[in-house]
Amino acid sequence: MTADLGYGMTIVALGLALYGGVSAGVGARTGRLALIESAQHAALGVFVLVTSCFALLTYAFLTFDFSVRYVATNTNLGTPFYYRITGVWGALEGSIILWSWMLALYTVILIVRHRVGARELYPWALATMLGILAFFLLVMTVAAPPFQRQVPVPADGRGLNPLLEDTGMITHPVALYLGFTGLTVPFAFAMAALITGRVGDTWLVLTRRWTIVAWYFLSLGLLIGGWWSYHVLGWGGYWAWDPVENAAFMPWLTATAFLHSVMIQERRRMLRLWNISLVILTFGLTLFGTFLTRSGVIASVHAFTQGSIGILFLSFLALVLLTALGLVAWRWEALRSEGELDSVLSRESAFLLNNVLLVAAAFTVFFGTVFPLLSEAARGVKVSVGAPFFNQINVPLFLSLVFLMGVGPLIAWRRASLDNLKRNFLWPVALGILAAALAFALGVRSLLAALTFATTVFVAVTIAVDFTRATRARLRVGESLLPAMGGLLVRHNRRYGGFVVHLGILIVALGVMGSHAWSVQTETTLHRGETAELAGYRFRFDGLTAVEESNHFKVVGTFTVSNGRVLGVLQPAKKFYPQEQAPIAYVDYRLGLREDIYLVLGDFARDGSQATIKLQVNRLVSWIWIGGVVLTLGALLAILPERHKSA
Amino acid sequence: MKRLWRWLIPLAAVPVLALLAYGFRVSPRDIPSPLVGRPAPGFALATLEGAPLDLAVHGGKVVVVNFWASWCYPACYEEAPVLERNWRGYRERGVVVVGVDIQDKREAALKFVGDFGLTFPVAQDLKGTVSVDYGVYGVPETFFVDRRGQIRLKHVGAVTDEVFKATVDRLLAEPASP
Amino acid sequence: MTRQRKFIAGGVVIALALAYMIYAGVTQSAVYFVTPAELRAAPVPGKAYRLGGMVVPGSLKWEARSLDLSFSLSDGTATVPGYFKANLIMAKHSEEYKAPHDKSEAGYRELLKTLRGEGR
Repeated sequence: MTADLGYGMTIVALGLALYGGVSAGVGARTGRLALIESAQHAALGVFVLVTSCFALLTYAFLTFDFSVRYVATNTNLGTPFYYRITGVWGALEGSIILWSWMLALYTVILIVRHRVGARELYPWALATMLGILAFFLLVMTVAAPPFQRQVPVPADGRGLNPLLEDTGMITHPVALYLGFTGLTVPFAFAMAALITGRVGDTWLVLTRRWTIVAWYFLSLGLLIGGWWSYHVLGWGGYWAWDPVENAAFMPWLTATAFLHSVMIQERRRMLRLWNISLVILTFGLTLFGTFLTRSGVIASVHAFTQGSIGILFLSFLALVLLTALGLVAWRWEALRSEGELDSVLSRESAFLLNNVLLVAAAFTVFFGTVFPLLSEAARGVKVSVGAPFFNQINVPLFLSLVFLMGVGPLIAWRRASLDNLKRNFLWPVALGILAAALAFALGVRSLLAALTFATTVFVAVTIAVDFTRATRARLRVGESLLPAMGGLLVRHNRRYGGFVVHLGILIVALGVMGSHAWSVQTETTLHRGETAELAGYRFRFDGLTAVEESNHFKVVGTFTVSNGRVLGVLQPAKKFYPQEQAPIAYVDYRLGLREDIYLVLGDFARDGSQATIKLQVNRLVSWIWIGGVVLTLGALLAILPERHKSA
Repeated sequence: MKRLWRWLIPLAAVPVLALLAYGFRVSPRDIPSPLVGRPAPGFALATLEGAPLDLAVHGGKVVVVNFWASWCYPACYEEAPVLERNWRGYRERGVVVVGVDIQDKREAALKFVGDFGLTFPVAQDLKGTVSVDYGVYGVPETFFVDRRGQIRLKHVGAVTDEVFKATVDRLLAEPASP
Repeated sequence: MTRQRKFIAGGVVIALALAYMIYAGVTQSAVYFVTPAELRAAPVPGKAYRLGGMVVPGSLKWEARSLDLSFSLSDGTATVPGYFKANLIMAKHSEEYKAPHDKSEAGYRELLKTLRGEGR
């Protein structure tokens, strides 16, 4: 009954979405408002139906309804309560429902926000959103139906993939998908702009906040993914340049580029073609990302499955790219810019270079990701490129980008005079060089570390210079200190939100650098009572215990950690799930500001007399998460509604 | 830019799309099995009913060795009716279908066999040695052994009617002794 | 416009630099999938390989104290002695059903670990 009801609702939703898309399009073309309103109602109907599907599926999960195949595959009688909820989006079909639901939600918000203010663009944007929503509903109906019946009904389900039984499982996909689907809206408005020919600033201004919000969620999703990888997967790292990680990173890179280049279009009316292309590229990359995760075309840690779904996604990607680029070709004349770059030393130049570097990084990641396909197609040999490829090329690009973070906000528009350069950058450059020298004096020999220190100090000082100068200006007018500073943040929240985001990135950069340059690890086998040593810490193996949990069996190793005095006890474990062929490692760790202690249990003797462990002391990793929090605060500040700017 | 050149822009997307489409033709997980073309490793197990199941007994016949498990959703559930159907169709023609259940509980295996009404011999690989001998690293995997005892095809994933019929027909047409 | 030419030239320089970096990166960090026979035929010392094959029965030796894992891989045609030193353990998890099932297991199914293979 559940399965049939769910399936029925999906089909109706698909029909409504198709109808709505066509209706909005025709209404836009002919100017008949009644059709547009009808499309709005259809969109609302879709939202209600998809929400109901979601609720129905969750209900099936909570009541152990194994007659629904998706429930049987992803849960069993032992799955804890909250994981029965998060398990709803734990595999392919559920992930499509989640995506569709978010698209439907965003469509409704779009209707509420822009129905009145954007007469020309709104109907076409609505049509585009509904069209894309219809595609995902089509996938839900044809390729990945969540409501398929399981016959015969099994007595017990298979269970959730144990790696997904984690708090990260609640937040990571949700944040990531909010980001991906959020990027659909700027694309929809870009299409509307191209179709109506209004390729000026209107569509940009409308989508500015959407872009920041989507970008923020994408950043959050990536950071949580890194955190999840770090504390669950047991390899002591947070980023592996895995194809699916890359698939999420590429749109982030181009979205970041877009966030910056819109500022140029707003100020100087330049880069129209570039901006439209960036939006199309970003949306294309999000589709590519979902294609990659679900088609099985490239082997990856995360890959969901193979089958007809890949062909569907590729076809849709082709349709979207060809249509969008066709529209660009059609509106080519209108997209030619009015302004042009005056000088290499200018804010426009800095922003353009920022964009070029970000797109170059995105291209590198793309190239490395599809390289196995390329090599097989070209030479019949299956070759993949590993992490060193990505790191080697991207590190210089990212370091340059960090440097630009300091240059961009301060350098003058149009043409920076020598005087302007001196005034803004003398102190930052001097202190940056000093920082590198200081690091060298303190024993740092890695070139990468020195450069990172230099650039981060450089950027931090530029931010301080700007903030101090602006505060002083207000103090001169008679304001007192704290209100002056607060007032700056609130009245120029876009600018200072951006600064805070940049600060967050600086902290993340330092964390990444520290973890790469200074982390140490070792592997060893210990008898009970024996101690291993690493980086000043001592680990004593105290013994093994076996524990039976509701849906798995685990062996826990107890280790006492000390560095002169006892710090605590770490208990890494190996979990054995009946439905898994190999045990899952459960890492234990102690986080710290300077360094993390990280312990993985490997092989062990059945009688508990000895255990093989991998020890890591990871440096500055916590800074990555702290930088993420700062980034969050900055994004929130930037999203605040704009107050009336004072003179 | 001249009026017509601009229409090349959409074409810029085509190479990338073509490359991705190419990806469908090659599976990234295709690690060639070194066993194809070599004699099928023998095994002596006991079926769920207790009867002996020995590969050597079936010399001269085409043998389809299918590795499965009751917890393998949805593929093993999809292929079970296919295997049973083809077993019934081919058993009189010198074909044997053998099921090897790995890493499973006996009750779950019995329930699976009962639910699908499987009538071909099914045994549990309790020690795990048979799956190791065959290099099995996932379920389901199906090995098609010819009349001379050589493994000729390893099929990864749910077996379909087309694959079964095409392979078995081809192997049946070959003589039993060189 | 000379200014425009300058920007285009700058763009070309960046593109070329990127192309060079990619080329260097690929040749340095490419990982080849081979079978033991292929490795035997043309081994290159120091190159990174992913080796797929069956462990020769009886050749597996695991020393817990020194963390030495050694075994021989064969594809029926050629045998390669392997000295296992993991550079990276790929803990794979596929969220859907598992055929094929990629999981790295310390022990006898080393199909997905990066090996420094010495062909001899």
